[in-house]
Amino acid sequence: MPRKTIRICTGLLFAIAFTAQAEQFDYPETNPFMATVAGTPNELKVPVPDEVDVQQDDLAVRVLPDRKLPPALSNYRDLHFRVAWHDEPAPLIFLIAGTGSGYDSSRMDYLKRLFWQAGMHVIVLSSPTNHDFIAAASNSGMPGMGAEDARDLHTAMSMALDKAQDEKGFEVTEYRLAGFSLGALNAAFVAELDTHLGQFNFSKVLLLNPPVDLYASVGRLDDLSYTRIPGVSDNDSFYEHIFQKLSRHFAQRSNSDIQANLFYEIQNSPEALSDPELAMLVGAVFRFSAADLSFMSDLINHGGRYVPADKEIKVSTSLTPYLRRALFCDFSCYINTQLWPAWEALNAGRTIDEMAYETSLRSLQAFLHDSPNIAAVSNADDLILNKNDYEFLADTFGERAYLYPYGGHGGNLDYPQVAERYMDFLQGEAK
Amino acid sequence: MKPVYWMSGLFGCIFYTGTVLADAPSEYVNYSDRGQELDFPAYHDPLDELDIDKSETRYQFERSSLRALNVQDPLEGMNRRIYRFNAQFDQHVYLPVVRTYVWATPDIARKGVSNFFNNLKDIPHLGNSLLQGKFQRSAETTARLLFNSILGIGGIFDVANSMGLPQQPEDFGQTLGVYGVPPGPYLVIPFLGPSSLRDGTGKVVDWAIEDNVNYMNNRDFMNDYQATWGIWAIDLRYQTPFRYGALDSPFEYDQVRYLYTKLREFQVDN
Repeated sequence: MPRKTIRICTGLLFAIAFTAQAEQFDYPETNPFMATVAGTPNELKVPVPDEVDVQQDDLAVRVLPDRKLPPALSNYRDLHFRVAWHDEPAPLIFLIAGTGSGYDSSRMDYLKRLFWQAGMHVIVLSSPTNHDFIAAASNSGMPGMGAEDARDLHTAMSMALDKAQDEKGFEVTEYRLAGFSLGALNAAFVAELDTHLGQFNFSKVLLLNPPVDLYASVGRLDDLSYTRIPGVSDNDSFYEHIFQKLSRHFAQRSNSDIQANLFYEIQNSPEALSDPELAMLVGAVFRFSAADLSFMSDLINHGGRYVPADKEIKVSTSLTPYLRRALFCDFSCYINTQLWPAWEALNAGRTIDEMAYETSLRSLQAFLHDSPNIAAVSNADDLILNKNDYEFLADTFGERAYLYPYGGHGGNLDYPQVAERYMDFLQGEAK
Repeated sequence: MKPVYWMSGLFGCIFYTGTVLADAPSEYVNYSDRGQELDFPAYHDPLDELDIDKSETRYQFERSSLRALNVQDPLEGMNRRIYRFNAQFDQHVYLPVVRTYVWATPDIARKGVSNFFNNLKDIPHLGNSLLQGKFQRSAETTARLLFNSILGIGGIFDVANSMGLPQQPEDFGQTLGVYGVPPGPYLVIPFLGPSSLRDGTGKVVDWAIEDNVNYMNNRDFMNDYQATWGIWAIDLRYQTPFRYGALDSPFEYDQVRYLYTKLREFQVDN
């Protein structure tokens, strides 16, 4: 009997091994919303050095000398960025943050440490859609167009590099480029632009969870903020609903000491957040980024949508009334009411679909397909991709498409199986 | 072989194949139109399972967020100026000093410093637990004070925490809240940051408690050796994870105001 059992067992396992046709992917979080919000559990992440042990500094450059900013926003006059460097000559990688994220966000810090640990100098830049970049480095003050954002980024990268080498005196052997989410789409456009300019001649370009059609992706994220949640009526506040759950959770606990792994603790309790609640959280964070973007872009362009064109915002001026109005504008609203009219004025007779195409990876398909030094990492359950987008990545990048069955939007980038593969690619050992 | 072994073997096998099957991607698909022999995990749309509101009046996000902006803040102009001052002080003075402190001292020394000052704070924590009638918590905090002050050598080691008695902060602002005192106007205090009329008053009372109890003569000692106040101030920032700019928004002031208000409601309730 036992021998038979073992034989059946072995047979079954072989059958599975052959069906899967690939190395078994064992990322533990199969729920895309949990993966997106919480990422890999700490004990399973690729270990990276502590922040204090990284040789790094924050620097700033004046990219647009003529840009006028009101006193309340004067700290964004210079573009701030983060540099981590080595004393020996080494490759330098530029890293571009995702939608509404800054150079100092925790995801960027993690990737920075991962790259730095592997022996690269790292320069981290804010997303062109982040308020600081819009104020300090966006020529049009209206991000969202692939080619224009790439020009802004390329300039910012050159200036940041000069500044960093001036101050820190490190030597660069070759240039690489990586971006996360919208930053990955930006990286693709920057890489293409650089083939015409010949400035950096990137040896490797890594796209981490890129959108394919930007406007379709932001539409999906907007949608998350309209998720219906069981138990939240048309008169309730979603935040209060979440806080009540947390409150009940704490009431059941013996003490009120807040732990570092609080999120996992809650998700394993009766008050665990449901998928619609997690989706709404992702959507809400994104909506706040959209409000920031819409507000900043309008302010720089004196559009008068939120702040009257002639009003000076002082440090003491309340921005709350502007936020109240900007909250209503989701990302699609920004595209339709700000980006599109500006584009249409320069492109009479063309359609919004043509504008969308110009900012999608589809417009770069031939370039991406024919460049062996560009790879993309994504997941079959990435929130920002629809089926066509996902298939586009598989089809365009072929064996340079590192696609995984789970991980949501970027949740598995710190997982060894995933990270080791893209690090091998960056370091030039990819098969 | 005893039946129990192969039984467990069989269950193990079923369980193992079960997990492997559950974890294995349901299918791999060839997506390429270019004749490449590559298979990829099959796409599935996480949004399919969500019920997305397509109505004209889908205002859940707006309704919730607008309510969150209703915080009593009559001194907003002044508060915003102080907030800005604090942010700049933090960036140019406070954080660089803390970074130097982290660079110059070993981890274990910093931990000891934090434990020492946290132990002193258990005095007002105890007072406020008593005032709120939380007797179990008071007993636990008393035990902490005894264990840490004696076994933990004046509080340098948090032995009580290892014994399952974590610190349970209670301040006078919370005590007032428990007795129904509303937070009152939002206040940003120079150097210390977000607070409210109630909680700011509470801080003064807690300070007075620490001063009067003068536990282990710490106040006398610190006043005699004034450099210790510097270490106290550095440790205060070292223990605070908040970073200006971390919310990545021109509306950071508004968001911090809401989060602070909620955090305090929370602490009063628990």
